[in-house]
Amino acid sequence: MKVIHELSNIRLRGRKTNRLTNINLKIYSGEKIALLGKSGSGKSSLISIANGALYPDEGHVLFKGENIHRINQKKRQKIATIWQELLLIDELSSIQNVNCGALGKNNLIWAIRNLTGTLNPHFSSLCLLAAGLPAVYHNANIKLLSGGQRQRIAIARMLRQEAELLLADEPFSNLDPTLVKQTLNLLQSRTLNEKVSPPKTILVSLHRPDLIKSFDRIIGLREGKIIINKSVNEINELDINYLYS
Amino acid sequence: MKWLNPTILSIIPALAIIPVLILIGQGFHDGGSYLLIRVITSAFNPSKSILLLKSTWDGLQITVCIAFIGWLLSIILGFLLGLISSSVIWKILNGPKICAPLMRKILSIPRSIHEILWSLLLLQIMGLNGLVGILAILIPYSSLTARVISDQIDTIDIKSLRAIRQTGGNPFSIIITAILPKIIPLLISYGGYRLECSLRSATILGIFGFGGIGTDIQLSLQSLEFNEMWTSIWIIGIFIILLEHILGWYRRKFCFSPQAIRLILFSPIIGGIIFIACIIRLKQLDIDILVSPNFNSIYWPSINEIINAINELPLLNLTFSTLILTIFTSGIVIGIPAVGILLWPTRYGQIIQSSIWSIMRIIPPPLTALLLLLISTPGFAVAALALSIQNIGIMGRFLKEKIQTNGDKKLKAFQTYGVSKNSAWLYGCLVENSSSYLSYAAYRADVILRETAIVGLVGGTGLGWQLMESLSSFNWAEVLVLITIYSMLTISGEILSKEISNFWLLDKYKAYLQ
Amino acid sequence: MKRRSVFIILLGGLVTILGASNVLARSKEILTIGAIPDQNPEHLNRLYSLLSNKLSKELKVEVKYIPVTNYAATVSAFRTGDLDLVWFGGLTGVQARLQRAGAKVLAQRDIDSKFRSVFIANRKANIKKISDPAELSQLKDKRFTFGSTNSTSGRLMPQYFLKKSKVELVDFSGKMPGFSGSHDTTIALVESGAYEVGALNKQVWESNLKRNRVDTNKVSVIWTTPPYVDYHWLAQPGLDKRFGSGFTSKLKTTLLNLNKKSSDGAKILGLFGANKFIPAYEKDYKLIEEIGREIGKIR
Repeated sequence: MKVIHELSNIRLRGRKTNRLTNINLKIYSGEKIALLGKSGSGKSSLISIANGALYPDEGHVLFKGENIHRINQKKRQKIATIWQELLLIDELSSIQNVNCGALGKNNLIWAIRNLTGTLNPHFSSLCLLAAGLPAVYHNANIKLLSGGQRQRIAIARMLRQEAELLLADEPFSNLDPTLVKQTLNLLQSRTLNEKVSPPKTILVSLHRPDLIKSFDRIIGLREGKIIINKSVNEINELDINYLYS
Repeated sequence: MKWLNPTILSIIPALAIIPVLILIGQGFHDGGSYLLIRVITSAFNPSKSILLLKSTWDGLQITVCIAFIGWLLSIILGFLLGLISSSVIWKILNGPKICAPLMRKILSIPRSIHEILWSLLLLQIMGLNGLVGILAILIPYSSLTARVISDQIDTIDIKSLRAIRQTGGNPFSIIITAILPKIIPLLISYGGYRLECSLRSATILGIFGFGGIGTDIQLSLQSLEFNEMWTSIWIIGIFIILLEHILGWYRRKFCFSPQAIRLILFSPIIGGIIFIACIIRLKQLDIDILVSPNFNSIYWPSINEIINAINELPLLNLTFSTLILTIFTSGIVIGIPAVGILLWPTRYGQIIQSSIWSIMRIIPPPLTALLLLLISTPGFAVAALALSIQNIGIMGRFLKEKIQTNGDKKLKAFQTYGVSKNSAWLYGCLVENSSSYLSYAAYRADVILRETAIVGLVGGTGLGWQLMESLSSFNWAEVLVLITIYSMLTISGEILSKEISNFWLLDKYKAYLQ
Repeated sequence: MKRRSVFIILLGGLVTILGASNVLARSKEILTIGAIPDQNPEHLNRLYSLLSNKLSKELKVEVKYIPVTNYAATVSAFRTGDLDLVWFGGLTGVQARLQRAGAKVLAQRDIDSKFRSVFIANRKANIKKISDPAELSQLKDKRFTFGSTNSTSGRLMPQYFLKKSKVELVDFSGKMPGFSGSHDTTIALVESGAYEVGALNKQVWESNLKRNRVDTNKVSVIWTTPPYVDYHWLAQPGLDKRFGSGFTSKLKTTLLNLNKKSSDGAKILGLFGANKFIPAYEKDYKLIEEIGREIGKIR
């Protein structure tokens, strides 16, 4: 299998201690990876390093063999992120927020037209439907929506981006059990409807070990270091306990 | 109306620059280009003669002292007036309901008149007295401060005060425990901005002949000694920029660190010491503000004279052109900073733009107008552009600060999606800040309306021009009529801009969209 | 800490009170003189500090020159009594006299009884010399500048003559004339080409010519106005009460006695561009007052 994303020798300094130390991680095309660890173990930092939002103090991140901070916009669009805080834009409607996923593919005029709400909403509607948000909410003021609904908008925005690699930071934290299941299914599936398909390669951070069965590989993070890197079949209770002790 | 959202409304007004530039172009002549080039090259080669530096230094001190004294008194007075024009306070004191709105109405009059007009009127009453400049700042500024203070107090929920009242506290202890903590942070941050404004006002007062560094600027411009003019502009400019940084630091320190509370306790003491030092220094510089002025009666025009003035002045026309000037200027001022960063959002782009804004903030509008007149014929466009320059600088800084305090998390997130810098800036920064930007812009439009008075003469348009002409003809009936109109316009502008600003801030506009 | 701050405040208060009492102690009368700022401030400073010294020496009172930076403020300062003796232009003098009952016209220069303005033009504007005032109509649609809004020779009279030749202010390019603020500035702006035509005080023009401060290849006179009365000294009423009886007439005599025989007298008159001062009377300025009313500069 081909390596699509690679973090090598990453170190990220914090105020007092290192937030990440000696991180080496290869993500292969088509893999579904779960990133486990207690809160504060460095999961969010790792994701921010992986998508290029943060610069590591040491080491480098390669996307398809190129340094992530030097690749062009077109390649960057192939990496999607679902942030823990979602980072939706409260001032915009659901559809407009989903359109933001396609900002990279389009020019500034398109961006301004999206603000004016004069774009064809078809594709974004499909993404929202695929993410499980019913059509009545598509033009809603998103400030008024629930946490779960907002989470689905963030997922739809990610779908709209049509990326190859998804980095997701605790995307299940706001969801009830049924929605968690739906979302997991969504991320696993090949195509959702005629146009929308999720990224093939996925790295999802979790703090719920019970969900790991849906993934191929488990990465365990403790105090900024990778201490587990195993196929899901090889994981046992002890590993998990050690991670959370 | 779906397209009508704060972000679009922050960008679209920039279109106002197009007709203005076309008009400037139509009036363009290369006659003064030689002088203009001299002005611009002199900027990089200000005069460094010791004699000049000394007199500029004295001028700076005069301006700073006047600005400081006017400001300090206006904050104190504004605070007190703010208390008595707040309805919450009157409720606590069980006073009549009418008091607060009545006080507010009365106080909207002094601030509807620009500092320069106050100074010209006070000159008639007090003559050449050092107090004129200080009072010209003090009068409008204290009523501006009073408005902000009482607005802030009135956001306090009266029910929460009742709870304190139940404990049996007397009205004054309620005010101290429940209201002061809300007001002091505001006084610190808003007060800081007012100090900068005060310095700018004191400089413009100087340009109109009331002493200090502004007068130096005016005199060197008059004798076309551009190198000397730039010496003064750079000196006051550097001072303003330094002050901006110090106050910015003070605000941040205050906001984020509880230990800084000691600094605040010391503020009145430090303020008092500087206040006294300013008075003494002014005295040494031959400006005595403690000498009691001999008040002169002013000439009150008779009813007939006023009616004549109303009939003779083309009031509708003047009002209309003033409003057009205000609208176009506000458009430019709102749109240009937002569009500027939108088109050039890179790190260097932002650094360069905010340095341009800094320079724009320090060049007084009457001066800009005079320089524009070197290459264009007088009129609406020159006035609009001259007024815009300084205000763009002020709006630009507001935008930058707003974005800094709200963080750039979203901007960074968008960049990881491979979004272009422009679109990332639009969605990651402007969208979430645009409603507060617009509400500040509404307040700025108010200020611009007032300021049309000071470019009147050079811009040759609207009420401002007529007012300066009537003032120099000592036609008090006309002056009275014109100031009344100005005042009425500004007061209605203020009411309108308050509505607009509430509209954007309180999300009311959403209701209109759905 | 608290005690120290109280101490500082007390100290500050003490200093303030001392400062204030120091101010109130000043009771000696000072004769304040002023002038409309029609020329470069350096020129005015040199001229009026010489004159202050001279007056002080002759009249045995302290004399202080107070510079004022605009015409209207000079008038207001006279009205409020801040200036005792002011060198006014024709228009500003009338404005001041109308606002201060009892003000006395003391003297004018020999040249002021037949004063003139010049219209100057930039060579590039290709404006022909004017021999008949009717030809002023060729200035329509030109970029035109006056001096100060309240100047007699730089605005009032030029506007009056223009009006007589049916040229109104809205006829100029931009529908507005410019107001440069002073005569020297008018020369500089027309010479540079920022304005094509300007009107100013003939005496200032000539003194600039004499001092080689004008590039005559770039700017030249196209018309000289007919004569009219201009500048004069105006004194406050009640000077006698403050400085002793007969002071006003002593002041007048001192001004009239300035001559070119003494070195300081010669310097002062040289800077004034005159040979001597001659008596002047209110009635001389009747015409200026009428024109002022016609143009709207006097209510």
